[in-house]
Amino acid sequence: MNRTELVFDRPANLAATTPPEQRGIARDDIRLMVSSPSGHTHTQFHDLPKFLRSGDLLVVNRSATLPASLPANGPLGLMTLNLSTNYGGNLWLAEPRWSPSKQGPLPLKAGESLCVAGVTGRLVAQYPGLPRLWFVQFDASIEVEMVRKGQPIRYGYLEGSYPLSTYQTVFADTPGSAEMPSAGYPFTQPLVNALRTRGVLMADITLHTGVSSLEVEVDEVERHPLYPEPFVVSASTAQAVNEARSEGRRIIAVGTTVVRALESAWDNDANGLRAASGFTRLYITPTHGVHVVDGLITGLHDPVTSHLAMLYAIAGQTLVRDAYAEAVREGYLWHEFGDSHLILARE
Amino acid sequence: MSSANNSQQHRRVALITGASKGLGRALAEFLAARGYDLVLTARTRKTLQETAKALAVYEVTIKAIAGDVADANHRQALIAAAQKLGRLDLLVNNASTLGPEPMPTLADYPIDKLTEVFALNTIAPVALTQLALPLLKASRGLVVNLSSDAAVGGYETWGGYGGSKAALDLISKTLANELRPSGVGVVSVDPGDMRTDMKQASEPDTDFSDLPLPDVTLPFWAWLLGQDPAGVSGQRYQAQAEQWEIVA
Repeated sequence: MNRTELVFDRPANLAATTPPEQRGIARDDIRLMVSSPSGHTHTQFHDLPKFLRSGDLLVVNRSATLPASLPANGPLGLMTLNLSTNYGGNLWLAEPRWSPSKQGPLPLKAGESLCVAGVTGRLVAQYPGLPRLWFVQFDASIEVEMVRKGQPIRYGYLEGSYPLSTYQTVFADTPGSAEMPSAGYPFTQPLVNALRTRGVLMADITLHTGVSSLEVEVDEVERHPLYPEPFVVSASTAQAVNEARSEGRRIIAVGTTVVRALESAWDNDANGLRAASGFTRLYITPTHGVHVVDGLITGLHDPVTSHLAMLYAIAGQTLVRDAYAEAVREGYLWHEFGDSHLILARE
Repeated sequence: MSSANNSQQHRRVALITGASKGLGRALAEFLAARGYDLVLTARTRKTLQETAKALAVYEVTIKAIAGDVADANHRQALIAAAQKLGRLDLLVNNASTLGPEPMPTLADYPIDKLTEVFALNTIAPVALTQLALPLLKASRGLVVNLSSDAAVGGYETWGGYGGSKAALDLISKTLANELRPSGVGVVSVDPGDMRTDMKQASEPDTDFSDLPLPDVTLPFWAWLLGQDPAGVSGQRYQAQAEQWEIVA
């Protein structure tokens, strides 16, 4: 797939610069566009149950957001270290930045040391193909100091800074994400209850997000480098998905992280899902296709991002491009605190 | 702030064979940067010394001992060096030979050469593991045997090398089962296609400049070494795969 197929025009003003709570509305009051082969409908997120039916299986991500942005001091003076992924043994993949709002790359060298929230971290190696990311070996656990001194990762387009609780979804009970798995953001407990009353079934996975990836720069989309993220698909979730598939019920992922986790647990030989736990950098493009997901609830994705290729894989490029043109016309808001989109590949 | 040394943790020790170039060197540098003390070996003294010198910047202890891992005395020397460092957490059996170049078909393979290929690629890793076991048991450590897609490919002229690696794969899996009660893990790893001297030697006339350098495997090593050996033991991993899983 060529990079040009991911290009579209997203006006700069169509970005949520504050959480809905700050705009005076509840999380589930944000706008929701429902796109399916029969067209697009505009509604609010709390009306989601009307567009799902009894027996639909909604799969959510349990990962909770870490206060992963830490103050650091090193050979270049004061800087920011955004932790991306915990590899175990006090080794983290991390993104050194000049400041929370000013990205790198910084002129750093392997072997140099940083003092990160009071813990010594040594620069080990750049991530192959992604030189803005470094493996950092800490000499003790960074997690305690992170809870004390870290902030949620935030980017320049946000107005103001918000506490960690603003970055937690109602499903979050397993800390580990560098950035909020934001598709779950507009869910509230009353909405979850309404979905259950409707007969919608729920299952969960865990996938801890790393720091955001950047625009696709290569012509061949499939060659865009992705780095792996920790994931767990439990035996009970695998079973719930397999039962839904065998009975022809729809499986709807809440977020691209859920699609990635479920597809990583796909077992071709068994023609079904199996329990799986590890790291995945599975890159879902139309070439790869999807095996288990019939629909996706997600935010609106920026032009030339790898996530768009996943949306094309689920619902086809024509439907997705048509929906995005509609979202721009209707003034939907992009980014993690923006509006939501339910994409159904089948009615 | 103290120096960069991981002085407040116990130091970890790794032994890597074939460490002077290619994948072995990339892994040695990654581990040195993480604070591992290292026992490194390769056949060519000069390139091994150059590698050890380049890693001095990381301020870890490096014992570089040139020699042939098919030689029992050399294996003893490597384990003695690890003993002097006080422990062994990781044994990486990376040294291997393609055999005669250009590689012959099995019909024409000189049997003495085939015996040498198996001695270095298959038997030496077992022998080194045997010697390392007391240290590995004490640390509940990990043995990594480097494999190849040739171990399952059946590619023409790759029968000697591929056969030795297929045997090593089965040995890894068997050792994993035998050593499970001891807490020592054993995995085999296919690093995938990389731009190395060995790759070039396998096809001298092919341009491999599009292939990634061995550091493409660093995320895999980062992941593997973060796992409990019991959770990975017995598995065969592809370092450039899209996912790596622990045993259910």
